[in-house]
Order: sequence, then C-alpha cells, then structure tokens
Amino acid sequence: MIGANQRFPPPGDVALVTMSTNLGRMTGYLGSYAVLGLLLLAGALVFVGAFGANRLLRPANPAEPAGKRVAYESGIDPVGGNWAQMQIRYYVYAFLYVLFAVESVFLFPWAVVFADPGYGAAVVAEMGIFVAVLALGIVYAWRKGVLTWS
Amino acid sequence: MAGVNNFPFLSILTLGPLVGAAVVACIPKAKGNLAKIVALAVSLVMLVLSVFMWVAFQVGGDAQRFQFRESYPWIPGLGVNFTFAADGIALVMLMLIAVLVPLVILASWHDAEQSRRSVPVYFALLLSLEACMFGVFAAADVFLFYVFFEVMLVPMYFIIGSYGTAKRQYAAVKFFLYSLVGGLFMLAAVIGLWVVGGKTFDWVALTQIDIQTGTERWLFLGFFIAFAIKAPFFPFHTWLPDAGGAAPAGAAALLVGVLDKVGTFGILRYCLPLFPEASQWFAPWAIALALIGIIYAALLAVGQNDLKRLVSYTSIAHFGFIGIGIFAFTTQAGTGAVLYMLNHGLATGLLFLVVGMFVARRGSALVSDFGGAGKLVPVLAGVLFFAGLASLALPGTAPFVSEFLVLIGVFTVNKTVAVIATLGIILAAAYVLWMVQRTTQGTLNPALADIEPMRKDITLREKVVVAPLIALLIVLGFYPKPVTDVINPAVEATMQQDMGKQDPAPTGGGVTEASR
Amino acid sequence: MEDLNLPPIDYAALSPILILFGVACLGVLVEAFAPRRARHPVQLVLAIGGSVAALVMVVLERNTRVVTIGDAVAIDGPSLFLQGAILLLGIVSLLLIGERSLEAGGPFVAQAALTVGSEKDNRQAQGAPGNTEIYPLAVFALSGMLLFVAANDLLTMFIALEVLSLPLYLLCALARRKRLLSQEAALKYFLLGSYASAFFLFGVALLYGYAGGVNLQQINEAVAASQNSDILLYAGLALLAIGLLFKVAAAPFHVWTPDVYQGAPTPVTAFMAACTKVAGFGALLRVLYVAFEGVQWDYQPVIGTIAVLTMIVGSVLAVTQQDIKRLLAYSSIANAGYLLVGVVAQNREGVSSTLFYLVAYGFTVLAAFGVVSLVRDADGEATHLSRWAGLGRRSPLLAAIFTFLMLAFAGIPLTSGFISKFVVFGAAIDGGQSWLVVAGVVTSMIIAFPYLRVIVMMWLSEPAETTPTVSVPGWMTSAAVFIGVLATLALGVVPSPLLDLTNDASLFVR
Repeated sequence: MIGANQRFPPPGDVALVTMSTNLGRMTGYLGSYAVLGLLLLAGALVFVGAFGANRLLRPANPAEPAGKRVAYESGIDPVGGNWAQMQIRYYVYAFLYVLFAVESVFLFPWAVVFADPGYGAAVVAEMGIFVAVLALGIVYAWRKGVLTWS
Repeated sequence: MAGVNNFPFLSILTLGPLVGAAVVACIPKAKGNLAKIVALAVSLVMLVLSVFMWVAFQVGGDAQRFQFRESYPWIPGLGVNFTFAADGIALVMLMLIAVLVPLVILASWHDAEQSRRSVPVYFALLLSLEACMFGVFAAADVFLFYVFFEVMLVPMYFIIGSYGTAKRQYAAVKFFLYSLVGGLFMLAAVIGLWVVGGKTFDWVALTQIDIQTGTERWLFLGFFIAFAIKAPFFPFHTWLPDAGGAAPAGAAALLVGVLDKVGTFGILRYCLPLFPEASQWFAPWAIALALIGIIYAALLAVGQNDLKRLVSYTSIAHFGFIGIGIFAFTTQAGTGAVLYMLNHGLATGLLFLVVGMFVARRGSALVSDFGGAGKLVPVLAGVLFFAGLASLALPGTAPFVSEFLVLIGVFTVNKTVAVIATLGIILAAAYVLWMVQRTTQGTLNPALADIEPMRKDITLREKVVVAPLIALLIVLGFYPKPVTDVINPAVEATMQQDMGKQDPAPTGGGVTEASR
Repeated sequence: MEDLNLPPIDYAALSPILILFGVACLGVLVEAFAPRRARHPVQLVLAIGGSVAALVMVVLERNTRVVTIGDAVAIDGPSLFLQGAILLLGIVSLLLIGERSLEAGGPFVAQAALTVGSEKDNRQAQGAPGNTEIYPLAVFALSGMLLFVAANDLLTMFIALEVLSLPLYLLCALARRKRLLSQEAALKYFLLGSYASAFFLFGVALLYGYAGGVNLQQINEAVAASQNSDILLYAGLALLAIGLLFKVAAAPFHVWTPDVYQGAPTPVTAFMAACTKVAGFGALLRVLYVAFEGVQWDYQPVIGTIAVLTMIVGSVLAVTQQDIKRLLAYSSIANAGYLLVGVVAQNREGVSSTLFYLVAYGFTVLAAFGVVSLVRDADGEATHLSRWAGLGRRSPLLAAIFTFLMLAFAGIPLTSGFISKFVVFGAAIDGGQSWLVVAGVVTSMIIAFPYLRVIVMMWLSEPAETTPTVSVPGWMTSAAVFIGVLATLALGVVPSPLLDLTNDASLFVR
C-alpha cells in the first residue's frame, strides 16, 4: 500500500507523502487511508470555519419579506403533494440513454485492441453486430414515435 | 393340445372388451338399445372364449403351473413386458368375470335410462371395466398388474359417480381416493421391488430374488395395504358400504363380486410368493384383522336398514374368511379361500342382482320400505331367499364347501382362530334370515301394494339373469371337484414352492377327499 | 503484454440460440416497419418458423458434444435434449399465444400503458387488435432459455436468466381482461424475480471468491482441491440455489407462482409452466451435477428437504383452491417437488428421469391451460371452479379431455404422468432416497383430491344456470390441445422412445 504511494508521489507534495508514510508506520495496513482522513478533516474544518465566521460576522435581525423561503428563481414551485407525477417521456429518454451508455462501456476497451494482430475484420464485424442490435432499440423507439414530442 | 394352449386367450380376453367398449362408446346416444345388444354380444363372445380356455387348461400330472403364457416387450428400458399367464387361481377368477359380466349387462338393461345419462357410455364403461378385470387377473408382470389395478378405478368411478343413487358423488370420490391411496403405497413398493430385484418386473424372476428382511417387510406392507384396502379388510373397509350402496346394482355386483377379489388374489399371487418371510411375520396381524372383520362387519350387517349396504357388509365378513384361509398357509385352507372367492362372487353377485331387482321395483333400498313383499312377488322373494341361504353358506350351496374347507384348514394350524371364525357363521345366519324376514315375510306393507311395479313378479329377462347363477351355486355345492382340481395345484405351488410351507398331517381323510 | 487469443466459436452448435435471437431482433424490426394489419400473421409465422428452424438445428446437431466460446457454453446431451424440449413446448405455446379467434383481438391487450378502467381502456377491451410485441418477447425468452440450459459458466447463466426473465415479466402484464390482476402479477413476478436474480448473483460472487472462477469445471475442481473456507462454498451454493429454485417454483420460494399464474394471460401461463420449468430444472441439473458433484452428500439432504416441503405445500394448498388457474399453479409447485426428487437422486437415472418428467409434464400442462382458455363467459375466461359445474353435459369432449389431463396429473397409469412419476421415484430409490419416495407417494394421494374434485365438478354436478359456454377453438388452440393430449397419452402408453432418448442424453460434458 505504501509502496503504491511511493511509486506515484503526488508532484510537489513530498511532505504529505512523508507524513502518510509515517502514519502508515503507526497504523500499518490502513496507513494509506490516513491521507483521505486528513483531507476529510481539513474539508470539514474549512466548512465549519466559513459558516462559523459567517454566523459571527452577520447582522443579527434578518428581515422576513414574503416569498423569502420559497425555492430560488427558476426552481419548481413547491405546490401540492409530494407524490408528483413525472412526464412518462422522461423515463423513455432515460432508457434510451442507458442503452448507449452501456454500449460505450464495451466500445472503449474494444477500440483499444481491435487493431492488434490476431483481431481484424471478424472483430469489427462482431462489434458491428453488437452496435446494430443496440441500434435496433433506437430504430424501434423512433418508429414508435417516442422521439417526437407533441 | 399344444396348439390350443398357444392360442392367445388372455390377450384376446383383455383386448376384446376394450375394442367392444370403443365401439359401444361411438354409438350415438339415441340408439341405446343397439349399444346394449352390442355390449351383450361382446361379453358373450368373451364368455364362450373363456369356456374354451377352461377346457384347454391342463390339469393334473405334469401340467404346468402357469399356462397360456404370452409375452411381448412394452417398455424395454424399464424391463416392462406385456406378460400374461394364468394359473389355476387366475383361471377361476377369469371364469367368474366372464360369467358375471353378461349377466350384469342383462340385469342393468334399464338401469342407465333412469339416470338420464348416456346409455351407450354406461355399457362402454362396463365393457372397459371387464377388460381391466381380465387384465388384472391375467397379468404376470408386476408393472402390468399395477397398471390394470389402477386403471380399473376409472371406469368404476364413473359408473358409480354418474349412474349411482343419491349419495353417488361422495361414494365415488371415496372409492377412488381409498383405492388410489392403496395403489400409491403399492406403487412405492413396486418401484422398490423393481430396484431391489434388478430392474425387472417379471413375476417368475422376482420370486427368485433374496431380499433383506427389513426391506422385505416394508415392501410387503406396501402391497398388503393396497390389497387390504381393495379387499377390503378391517379397518380399511369403510368405502365399500358407501360404494356398494350408491352403485347401480349391476355394477355393485361386479364391484363386490370381482373387483374386491383383486385384493385377496393379489395377496395370494404377490404378497405370499414375493415376500414369504414377511408374509409369515405379518400373518398374525393379518389374521387378527380378518377375524375382527368377520365379527365386526357381521354385527354391522345385522343393524343395516339399507339392503345394498347390508350386502356390502356381509361381503366384508366373507372377506375375513378368505383372509384367514390365505394366511393359514395350508393348501387346504388356501384352496378353500380361492374357492370362496369364486363362490362368494357367485352368491353375492346373485344377492346384489336380486336386491337390485327389488330396489328397481320399489324405488328404495331401505328394508323398512318393504315388508311382506313375498305376497306380491313370490318367485322373486324365493330367489332372494335362495341367494341369502347361499350367502350364509348353507350346506348344499357352493359357499358351504369353501367355508368348510377354510375352517378345517385353519383348524389344523390354529384352533382358536377357527373357533372365533365359526362365530361369524352364526351371525351370518342372523343377518341373512332377518333381512329376508323383514323384506319378504310377515304382513304386507300397505304402501307396497300401491306401487305398480311391485305387483310384477320376475320377468323373463330377470329369470335369465338369475338362473345360471342359481344353477352354478347348486352344482358347485354338490360337485366342486372340477374347480378344486384347477385350484389345488396352484395353491399347493404357492404354499409349498413359494412359501416353503409343508402342510400339517391331515386330521381326517374324509376332508381331503371332499376337497379333491 | 501477452497475446490474447480469440476463443474458438462453434457456430453450428450455437446456431439454435443464434437463430432465435436473430428472429427476435427481426421481430422488433417487423414491429417497427410492417403495417399494423400485417404484423400479426408475419410475427406468428416468423416466431414459429424461427423456432422450427432452431429445432431442426438441434436435431442436426444431436451428436455434438462440445464446450465452446471460451468454455461459456456446453452443448452436450442434456442441453441438446432440453433445448429440443424447450423448442417443442415453445412452438406449442406459440400456437396458444397466436390464437385470435376466441375473443375479438386475441387474449392480449392492445396498449398496455392505458390506465385500467379508463374510457380508452374499455374501448380497447372491446376488440382492438392485440399487441404483437408478444412474439419477439416470447422468442427472446425462448432464446434465453436455450442459453440458460447450456450455460457452462455462472455469468453466462446469469445473463441467460435475465434474458429469459425480463420478457416474461412483461408478458405477464399483457392480459386483455382482468388487467389489474395481470399487472399485479407482473409487478410481483418482477420484484421477486429481481430478488432471486440478486441472490443468484451474490452466490456467483461468493463462489468466485471460493473457486477463483465462475466456470463450472473450475468450481468442480476447486470443490475437490481448494484451500479456501468452505463457508464461501456453501453460502455461494445456497444463494445460487435460491435463484434457481425460485425460477422452478420450489417452496419456500414459490409464493409468486399462484398469483402470477392466475394473473398472466393464460397462453403466457402455459408458456411459463411448460418452458420456464424445463429451463430452470435444466440449469439446476447442470449446476448441481457438473459443478457441485463433490459436495453432493452435503446438499442432498437440503435439496431433499426442499423437495418434500415443495410437494407438501403444493399438494396441501391445492386442496383449498377455488380457481382452476391457481389450482394448476399449486399443482405445478407440487410437480416441481417431484422433479426435485429426480434431481436429488444424483445418478444417471436421476438426470434421465428428470428430463423425461419435464417433457411429459410440459405437454400435459400446455394442454390443460389450452382447455382453460376455452371455457369462457362474457367476462373472458371463467376460471372459478364453481363455474365448471356440469361442463361434462354441455361439452363432453372438452370435459373428457380435461378429465384425461387431470388423471395424468394424478399419475394414473397409461398416462405420461404415471410413467414420469415412476421413473423419477425409481431413480430416487436407486439413489438411496427412499424417504423422498414415501413423501412423494403421500403427497400424490393428497393432490389427487383436488384433481378429482375438478372431475366431479365437470361430470357429476348438475350444470348451473350460468355455466359458461365453451368457445369453439380456432385451429391453433385445437392443435395445441391435441398435441398436448396426444403426447400425454403416447408417453404413457409407448414411453420407450423418449425413455431411450433421455437415457442417451443424460451425460454432461465437462
């Protein structure tokens, strides 16, 4: 674990690495997580410090004009029950998005190796079939009129 | 003789009624009479055929135990064959079926019309039942036997359920479930036997194998429960009075006369030879059940007010006699038991048919609805009286010979059992005579005289039905030799070869003479 | 970097799966481009034609024994047999699905998204031509099943499981009548099915941790030699088994079955009861026999207990049912129990008897649901048992057929039900599992009662005023019922050919 840190030292941050190795020596296996812990701690401190300072410095008698506590500007008006119905088309678009998002997961590694020796045309054809099958989905959605808003 | 002996009697007997049933079922509803005639003709052909078979069956000397053997492969993967063969015991039962079915068809000539259901279907069911009954007694392959044993339920179920009297639904379902329960126990045992016996179903091969004592007892139990339900023995008997009471009279005659014999036949053919040690181990229990059955059923029969239920209870008592005859393990008692199976079929069949004639006239099976009926229908009342006497095993009628043989045979090995069983004879006299008295004797029930059909004495058709049975009962009562000659070698082989039992020294020469 | 070698692919052996998959994709295109009126005939011909072509390929490849495409798929005796069985049963189911003459527009809804009970919905129920997407969906499910029974590693098996399950979830929701029931069924099936899939996947993960691979052979070797903790193995196997037992409707993972069988359109129920069961048991057999043979003594009692539980639950609850579809659902649960008896036998007879049982049961259940789809009144199918009273008087032929099927379910000789129970129980006794046979026999007695009650209803009860009419079946339903009844009879009277076939097909390749 520590070895991994040493192999890729964050540029210009030698002190931190040294510290983490020291911590690593103290806590053993979990040592490399100490960096993360420190980061979290620092983040919390900055947050608490900023808000604390804000609280100390601000005037103490806020006005309460009408509409002050509603959602800001372009937000959706919080009216009605909390079971809001969404337009069904959002879901369809979400599905179509997932279709191609998943596809790309397979495309990237394929793109890295398909030109290597031993692959070639057959592999291109196979990926073609894969993409075609997926394209089938969008063709179907298109023909069913999902893509047109009315 | 060899040529005749190779004639495929058994497969024709099994297939013939089946083909007949298919033909009858195809006859349109409106032509009920045609269906009846065809059914009768088919059953008569089977009767003729089985008479030929009886004649061809070799008796005495070096005659084989199993004759008319036929074997065709069916499911080679499971070692199943269509194997038919008949020994003396099976032959007697096959004859009984062949005789009873035409009479039953004749006796139920008008039964189906009353129920507003299809007439051809009724007779088709009767014929398919005949096919199954032939098959179950002719099978020499355990799997084949099981198939017929189970399939037999289906036509009987529909006969009771569709053509029976008031409580027919309940009775039919009860009959089916009881039999199926027994059948499934047997299925487990059949499969077990198959695995233990090296994947064969051949009866002869299975009698040769050695089974571990524990396994053997379980397998015996599986078969025995099925047969005890079928027979039925106490305490598995409760379905029979319901089924017998609800079935149409003809079908009830077949049910009690033949179908239930499958149970006792099964014990003789399967339980004893296949599991000799277990049979001996369980024999005291079986005898105890049989004894309880004799006394208990007889007592219940005395108290019955329904004629058909009464006859059913008498049968349960008689099955007790057959049971002790079988489990005494002597040739004499065994021969008596098999003879009893035949004679009981004839006597109780007759009794059921006659009761059916009374019920058809009166429209009720309750004893209390009759009374003094003899004044209106003297001949019919006479027939009922005769059937009753045969049923209580009066000397001179066939059942006497068999009951006597059973008691003598049992007496040589266990006196107590024989003495207790004798009590059953006394009770039999009580229930039969009381029944006859309450229905046909005494003052005339005034309600009876108003019923038009009650004034009509026995018709020609009914005479034709009862005459052969009465004749057989009397002839076999005086001269049972032709039948015992057939039965004796088979029973002897069962007891001595399969069971390894030696008969005790005969106590009196006269008895053995009577049986030969 | 070491060279990656492409795994050799035996396209011929895979062709049934590929054909069905291609046909399903084509079906989607037909849906997109064919004019509305032509869709139904085109889709039907395409689906049945594709299945027949796949079946022909299975028959041509019958002697192939190969592990191909990087050890992901094993084409061997059991998988070819099961693929053939699934395709045969699938073709018969497609006949039921394709029936359009029983009610205007067919048994499927025209637009599944319409709100139930709305005016538009009522209008479509009156006879708008039904949805034709069912065909590609069914074919996708079929192709998933073909892959499921042949999958040789757990990940392929999982993918196949999803490919077969997702279309089924959708198909369940597409009933034209009783749409709320249908949608409830689909949602239930989907939610519980997803849980089961998650269990399956979790099991795969644990087994990967145990064996260092998901290939069935790898797991088999690891079972024999691995140093890893056995807890991983047992937990993994248990979770995997839950996923599979859910699909075959074994207790206690059966709760979805009655609701789904009742709610789904009857042809789809028939399809699930016949084909999904075959696929599920095929995969279960392969996993247990190929991967976990080494620990069979450990899981045998567990699966045996599940078998007993399944038989008891199925048979006892069947007794109280008032709806014919629910009754058949519980009967299917009980049958899953009997099938498990064959699976637990752990010998070659166990495999062959299970294969036989699957085919025999599939045909019987298809015919039974085919008959159910014919008994109708104004509200669609009349499935309440009391409505069947006196059916034997109104339409004796149909009642006779159903009686025969009920007797087959009850295991009366001369029906396929008897032979299949016989071989399964025989294998179990051979494998030293007599206690399962005793349980099987006892539950057979219990479940005979509900079957008998249906027979009593049809024949012995007087017809009520409202006895539903029996629709005249179109040729497709007639053909499906006829094939089912014929197979039930033939496998009961001359079972030898199929018995020999299952015997030859009962060896897995490794």
